[in-house]
Amino acid sequence: MPGALVWELKKLIIETLKLEEITPEDIEDDGRLFGDGLGLDSIDALELVVALEKTYGVVIPDSEVGERVFRSVNTLAQFVREKTKSRTLELGNP
Amino acid sequence: MKYDETEIKVRFNEVDSWGMVWHGHYLSWFEVGRMALLGKFRLLPKDFAQMGYIAPVVDLKCIFKEPARFNEEVLIRTTVLKPTKAALTFRFQALRKSDGKLLASGEETQVLLTLDGRMLYIIPQDLQARFQPLFDYFEEPDSAA
Repeated sequence: MPGALVWELKKLIIETLKLEEITPEDIEDDGRLFGDGLGLDSIDALELVVALEKTYGVVIPDSEVGERVFRSVNTLAQFVREKTKSRTLELGNP
Repeated sequence: MKYDETEIKVRFNEVDSWGMVWHGHYLSWFEVGRMALLGKFRLLPKDFAQMGYIAPVVDLKCIFKEPARFNEEVLIRTTVLKPTKAALTFRFQALRKSDGKLLASGEETQVLLTLDGRMLYIIPQDLQARFQPLFDYFEEPDSAA
């Protein structure tokens, strides 16, 4: 199921940042996460980095990588897939 | 919670026309407390810059309980929270020295940037090693308590 990771990441964003009034359906796959998109800020990025490392073991060291990875849920999913590809984890099949 | 303490005395130019300290000054007192603490651990802004980092403030709040007045001695108490992410969070209290009454409390968060403006999402090893004595100090039980 190709969309499973995207859905999982949306849920992770909502739960990590306690976005109580937002559901996964409200977040567009290609919509901007920061600024005028979902409206996340730099502290949110720090929280997400911790949650992503804990959940998927992926490391986003700084804003240089972060700006590319956090562009949208799709770019985030692509990054998680790339970084976990070498492992046997099948993240798309929960 | 363990705090580092420093003292200030309310100056005439810090009180408003009601004779109370103007609210914005509490934030500069917190800054006095923060610098006094960081200076003890050689973590002043110049020390950060020497390592190639700056630490701008991204969040700041203050709760006002009681007004301070001219010439009163005020105790500024500062502590730092053990980080759960790549940010430093300080907590402050301002107490009237004569009766120990809490005047204001506050919290401030700083993130870490390289000198060329790259924000760090993970605390690098060199900084972690420099922060460790600071965090250890606040982990230790307070001998005065």
